[in-house]
Amino acid sequence: MNYVFVSSHLFYCTITFHFFPTYKIVYFSSHKHNSHMKKDSSFTDCISSFRTLSLTLVAINRVLLAQYASFPINGADLYDELLSSTAILSTGNESLDKLLDSGLYTGEVTELIGSPGSGKTQVCLGVAANVACELKRNVVYIDSTGGLSASRLLEIVKSKVSTAEQQLDALRRIYVTEVFDIFSMLKVLQTLRTGGFPESPSGSSSLKAVIVDSVRAVLLPVIGGNQIEGLSLMMQLAGELRMISRDFCVAVLVTNHVIRESNGAVKPGLGRSWSHVPRTRILLQHVNSEMTTQNGLRRATLLKSSRQPCQISEEFCLGSWNHHKVVKEAKEDSIPEEAH
Amino acid sequence: MQREVASLALAPTIKAKLIGAGFVRVGDLHEVSAAELRIEAGISLQESTEVLQTVFPRSHEKGSETRWMKATEILEQEKSCRSISTFCAALDTVLGGGIMTGKMIEICGTPGVGKTQLCIQLAVNTQIPASFGGVEGHSVYIDTEGSFLVDRVVDVAEAALQHCKQQHGKTGQLGALENFTLETILSNIFFFRCHDYVELLAQVHLLPDFLFKHPKVRFLVVDSIAYPFRHEFEDLSVRTRLLHGLAQKLLQLASQHNIAIVLTNHMTIRLEQNNSALVPALGESWGHVSPQRLVLYWQGKQRFASLTKSSRQKEQMVPFQITSHGFHDVQLFQSQVTASISSATSNTTTVNARKRCRVEDDDEHEDCL
Repeated sequence: MNYVFVSSHLFYCTITFHFFPTYKIVYFSSHKHNSHMKKDSSFTDCISSFRTLSLTLVAINRVLLAQYASFPINGADLYDELLSSTAILSTGNESLDKLLDSGLYTGEVTELIGSPGSGKTQVCLGVAANVACELKRNVVYIDSTGGLSASRLLEIVKSKVSTAEQQLDALRRIYVTEVFDIFSMLKVLQTLRTGGFPESPSGSSSLKAVIVDSVRAVLLPVIGGNQIEGLSLMMQLAGELRMISRDFCVAVLVTNHVIRESNGAVKPGLGRSWSHVPRTRILLQHVNSEMTTQNGLRRATLLKSSRQPCQISEEFCLGSWNHHKVVKEAKEDSIPEEAH
Repeated sequence: MQREVASLALAPTIKAKLIGAGFVRVGDLHEVSAAELRIEAGISLQESTEVLQTVFPRSHEKGSETRWMKATEILEQEKSCRSISTFCAALDTVLGGGIMTGKMIEICGTPGVGKTQLCIQLAVNTQIPASFGGVEGHSVYIDTEGSFLVDRVVDVAEAALQHCKQQHGKTGQLGALENFTLETILSNIFFFRCHDYVELLAQVHLLPDFLFKHPKVRFLVVDSIAYPFRHEFEDLSVRTRLLHGLAQKLLQLASQHNIAIVLTNHMTIRLEQNNSALVPALGESWGHVSPQRLVLYWQGKQRFASLTKSSRQKEQMVPFQITSHGFHDVQLFQSQVTASISSATSNTTTVNARKRCRVEDDDEHEDCL
């Protein structure tokens, strides 16, 4: 009996002591009872005090569990919330939209992977330009590779709107920051999450897309070998990206590299634990692998998705975000602005 | 204030101690003195002072605030940036006017195709006065292979001087040439010889101080990045970490100091199931590092340059040649080149410079290398 008392006492003590400062009082009062019990050695007193105490502890336990557990949500409510909060951002490229089931979903992390020069940055620039220009929303572009080219952005925007004022307006909606290591990347994401973003007059809700090009550049210098630290930083980055996408209802687009295996096949970089981070994953490839074919034609393959069958692929031309394009691809790009 | 302590740039052991002592978020460290932190977390006073300095950097220190720039501002910046001409008009067109300052480019090629020649040419061309459409900056040359030849620099520099003199005869910019002599060209190239990757890493980590003292540096080349990293490593993951850390450091320098950074790389053979292909060395993941990649290669007896990766230019290939005077266009393709120049109407001064170098080397078809 006494043993049970002590162990349950300790159990509650360790659980509640951390979370519930008020329990301190209970703890000390029970302690008093305990010493009192020993002195007077009245067994019935001890039993009754134990009963009241255990009842209190059970009650406290319930309160705590209720406080920390999540509430069940009705599926219908969830669907309503989804309809009200989720937006689908068109990438401006029909082939990619087809793969992504009509565009980038807010609240999700989408990943682009591909070998060097496969067009990851081009797709990022295209998406940024389209969201800023067609949807008139703000975009945050976090560049860790030095690959952002504003003149290329302008080129893409020019193919969408004609007047200089509109073009500049679109570019003003793209906020760019350069980071070169994982710590400054985490810092930027955290300031973004805690409202450190330079808000436009229309409020922070107009921020719809966060583009990170690329996660590889900041993660590779810290990952590998026997270091656990690098993995912890990677998972922190993953957590931040997810939290930003969910809390702010923005679409997060990240780029990553691929690893070429000895048989020539490619697999996504950063390993298996990173594979769980993006909800949707698209592989970009050159259509002709020989280096001499310089036509800008790319194949996009869906590797991971919760909406579409995987392994479907589409071909598109990288230049198709602006007016330079391969003639035979013309039917695939139905962006009206490109008609001229 | 909400930032987690685990995400700070601190040593893992110190982070573990801080979190163990209950300092989970940056807000928990607010208004805690170094002495208090020392006792609470069980770390030395020096460590606790460092922690507080990392967490709360003084406001005047650079980089303490996240800098947000609108794309319009970056566009202005890009427009104001000058490019370093290669003296090969077709190549300049492919690169969008030359090697851009503030960006990094990787130049790959088989031995003897002209990587070092291009680097030397660029180190000289960086110093062309602004009135001739140049960048008028200094150059840093980091040599890891020992292939830098000073007498070759003299050749190239003399040719560049000659070229500018001819141009000045037409445009009449006498004053500009006074400070542009062979001596100044040579004295404004800062040469470092690094024998292995340790020296290279040390040098790159010292570069911020050097660049602070020499603010006019506009061009930096590492010739080559591949050599010290290709053979000395048994553990490839260490190599990946060091290489990518180095690359991020260089990218940061390029952006902060507005320097054009050139890294040269070797070519290697990749065996696939049935065929083999010549690809840049250092592995596939290295290919992501540089936002631009130029591959130099031979096709028959002709050298070609091919832009295989760029975020602003289209993928293209052009022929070029190397004469005793340095980089030049190829004569056979003159009509084609003229067409491409007339389409590029961005900078008239550079266009003039390009036209001249074609006229100039009409009588020298021999390839000196």
